[in-house]
Amino acid sequence: MSISRRNWLKLTAGGGAGLALAELGFSAAKVQAATGHLKLTGAKQFTTACNFCSCGCGMVCNVVDGKLVNLEGDPDHVINQGALCSKGAAMQATHESDRRVKAPMYRAPGSDRWQEISWDEALEKLARKVKDVRDSTWIATEKDGDVEYPVNRTDAIGFLGGAQNTNEECYLWNKMGRLFGTNFVEHQARL
Amino acid sequence: MTNHWADLQNAKVFLIEGSNAAENHVMSMKWIRKAQAKGAKIIHVDPRFNRTSSIADIYARIRPGADIAFLGAVIHHVLENALYDVEYVKLHTNALLLAKDEFGLDDGVFTGYHEDKHKYDTASWAYDLDAATQKPKKAASLDDPRCVFSKLKRHFARYTPEVAEEISGVPAEQIKLIAETFANNRPGTILYALGMTQHTVGIQNIRCYGILQLLLGNIGKAGGGVNALRGEPNVQGACDMSVLNGYMFGYINAPNHNHPTLEAWTKDNGTFRRKFTVNGLKAWFGDNATAENDFGWRWLPKKNGAKDYTVFGMIDDAYAGKLKLLWAVGQNPMVTNPNLNYVHEALSKLDMLVVQELWDTETASFWQRPGADPKSIQTEVLLLPAAYFMEKEGTISGSGRLVQWRYAAVKPPGQAKADLEIIDTVFRKVRGLYAGSTDPKDEPLTKAVWNYPAQNTAEAVLQEISGRVLAEVTLPDGKVLQPGAFVAGIGQLQADGSTSSGAWIYAGVFGGGKNLSKRRDAKTDPSGLGMFPGFAWTWPGNMKILYNRASCDADGRPWAGTTPLVWWDATEKKWKGVDTPDVPDATKGPDTPEGQRAFRMNGEGIGRLMAAVYKDPDAKEKEKGLPRDGSYVPKDGPFPEFYEPIESPVANVLHPKAQHNPCVKYPRVPGKQPVGTAKDFPYVLMTSSIAEHWCAGSTTRNVPWLNELQPECVVELPTQLAEKLRVKGGDKVRVSSARGEMLVKAVVTKRMQVMRIAGQDVPVVWMPYNWGFKGLSTGPSTNVLTIDAVDPGAGTQETKACLVNVVRVEEAVAQR
Repeated sequence: MSISRRNWLKLTAGGGAGLALAELGFSAAKVQAATGHLKLTGAKQFTTACNFCSCGCGMVCNVVDGKLVNLEGDPDHVINQGALCSKGAAMQATHESDRRVKAPMYRAPGSDRWQEISWDEALEKLARKVKDVRDSTWIATEKDGDVEYPVNRTDAIGFLGGAQNTNEECYLWNKMGRLFGTNFVEHQARL
Repeated sequence: MTNHWADLQNAKVFLIEGSNAAENHVMSMKWIRKAQAKGAKIIHVDPRFNRTSSIADIYARIRPGADIAFLGAVIHHVLENALYDVEYVKLHTNALLLAKDEFGLDDGVFTGYHEDKHKYDTASWAYDLDAATQKPKKAASLDDPRCVFSKLKRHFARYTPEVAEEISGVPAEQIKLIAETFANNRPGTILYALGMTQHTVGIQNIRCYGILQLLLGNIGKAGGGVNALRGEPNVQGACDMSVLNGYMFGYINAPNHNHPTLEAWTKDNGTFRRKFTVNGLKAWFGDNATAENDFGWRWLPKKNGAKDYTVFGMIDDAYAGKLKLLWAVGQNPMVTNPNLNYVHEALSKLDMLVVQELWDTETASFWQRPGADPKSIQTEVLLLPAAYFMEKEGTISGSGRLVQWRYAAVKPPGQAKADLEIIDTVFRKVRGLYAGSTDPKDEPLTKAVWNYPAQNTAEAVLQEISGRVLAEVTLPDGKVLQPGAFVAGIGQLQADGSTSSGAWIYAGVFGGGKNLSKRRDAKTDPSGLGMFPGFAWTWPGNMKILYNRASCDADGRPWAGTTPLVWWDATEKKWKGVDTPDVPDATKGPDTPEGQRAFRMNGEGIGRLMAAVYKDPDAKEKEKGLPRDGSYVPKDGPFPEFYEPIESPVANVLHPKAQHNPCVKYPRVPGKQPVGTAKDFPYVLMTSSIAEHWCAGSTTRNVPWLNELQPECVVELPTQLAEKLRVKGGDKVRVSSARGEMLVKAVVTKRMQVMRIAGQDVPVVWMPYNWGFKGLSTGPSTNVLTIDAVDPGAGTQETKACLVNVVRVEEAVAQR
């Protein structure tokens, strides 16, 4: 049976849905059983905002048993009033993707592969490196002409990123960077 | 944005230049189309006819990099035909202020240029000051040849529509039509994005917008403004939180080496901003910051004033072996940075690279890049799994400055953690390594306040950002604030250390102890203008339209025929309105100096047609000689001047001797930043993003159906060029620049054109930049081609205009 998209919508929307589905090779009984328990039944709703461009479109996450069962535009939002773009509508896939990094990984100097390591090990390596670099590159004072100024900094540590983060993360990221003594604190604003 | 997304419905005309809003800020169209349905006109200026062009009333095709020539002619037409708002210009801009006689422009170079340093001495770019008050002298009329307005007219006199046509390719008649359409339909708004900023004249491109909107009286009004459509979900917030080398505590200049004390810094930056700096230092160092120890000033790192601390300085320093540790969070420079082959070399010289990400990206795996030999790369790399937005809580700020709370809906996958938790853990670990240290260099770590709770961490940080009362404060109206209370807004912040605020512009987001970013009233819009004051919270002070004092005349009454936003209520002796009034003090009326400062963030308090050098004296600190506030001056001139991109196929029509921006130093790194010429690379390349993929594509290229919609990178060629090259749509071509080359499929369309510029044919081609060698859809990165010459003030790279060559692959093989 050949069927256009328009006819498909007509068939499935009306009272003849059962018959039409059967013709298409679906079991009407199974379909009815499935729709008896809607996807969002018992879901907890959480509001959030999209993470692509800077429109800040509102989204609603529907969660059942800790699982994200649906993510859609927030109809009660003052910017998007329920609508989303092609990218925003694809957001659910990013949470579920099996391509997400799920454990800390380490690549040794000269190696051609990643190896999984523990969080403790990873953060210990990072903290030690911060201290080593900071201590070995510290600039306490700097001369400009005849005047020697206290500058208290390192120029050997770079922080990059923030536009993908929350304000609170950005605030602590900047605070941490400057407290370490670096002014190389930058993000995607130009890129 | 000076205004906000829903306010776009209030505009009567749109000038969209440097943005493909329909594809890259899709939701803007919801509001633009509403305005269009009410009769608003849309003008789209772009080198490529795209989805935004398709709904425009006027589409103007412009050569990449020629915006100042085009906008200069629009300004020229407005000035020559007196289309400006004369009352607004006289009241709210510096048009009448007298500028120094010695200021001028000669052959494309402003007075004070030092060629050896690529720098200006800006002393002549100043006002003629009254000796007694140190305030600028004022002309009686706009015709006074010494006033800013006359100098503005003189500057733009050269930008005739005919000259602009020769440079930009936009026909002179169309330029006039655009100028008249934009000027005669008010309020008008301007929308732009990276198409305007990614040039070596990025700041001056936007200065053109500021000048045009000030002339037309379009700033501070509903449906007006200059609106930057920002590229990332929280790029606005990241800037607000000072994740930019030059800022601290919310757009306050970070100190340089010659600022050893807060007073030395205040001499350059003023007492107005000193107050907010003290509040920031109190947020960071708590009780350890006292008036006696300069509020802990010595614990801030001081920049070397001559050094480049932008991302480009970082890459240059990594290449030089000076930068040892690079930590990237949610950023993928191995796709998004220009001149990628050089970036790869630079990363290969790091001791350690840390990447905190959702995905294994081209940056994290840079040592696996096709053609690289991992054995020769000695960089240690850590890839830390991060949580995505629906897996954590906190606020983000969109382009319209709306600070919205996001709830954590689900747990992050596997062992992934929120960035906030990772940052908090690392800081504590590093501080732990310094436990017991008595070395003064370690005091910033040991003296800082950093004790956020493990639960509700984000809200605790938001409280620190918003600010607290630390000691009893009596406000001017007699109200007493008790220690421990949360500050209600900027007006409650004190200069003496009795309050704190980590970012003064966000003061009050936790006002009254309530998280106002969680508010959800999407029903109440008393103004009918789409403001919804009870939905989340907008910085500063829940103000939706910045500079809204300029919507009123000298007496504080809304300009005749405009939509009232704020007004002076003479009975209540108060500024009131449907928006938070943008005034220094709501109780100071139009008969006080404070009541006439519509642009109060400038030293002058008025809009700056000429970005003159100016420091406003502080009467209260006269003996110390401290200014109250200073005004920002672009490094490359007080007026915008047209310069060709660093790589350009034509000579500068206005002044061949000043071909490029005189303040740009490029190449910075000999041998790594070659400049191509039209002889070898005859076509102009512009790059951008697309509706289906976003930035580096790290996320979107891992979504299968987005890859189905846009499976690979392409180069879009004008039909005339494709015919000449014997290329059909779908053919593989090699695109090359002085910096790199890549193979992609050609898309042949009429959306791109061969343009007629300065008497010669200039083909313009386009490429998206969203691909790399990782993810579900892989492909070469366009940024191997692009140039890393940057704007001298903003440090933004010229990814919107460089030179390339295109050849058919078969032909290229045959030539070998």
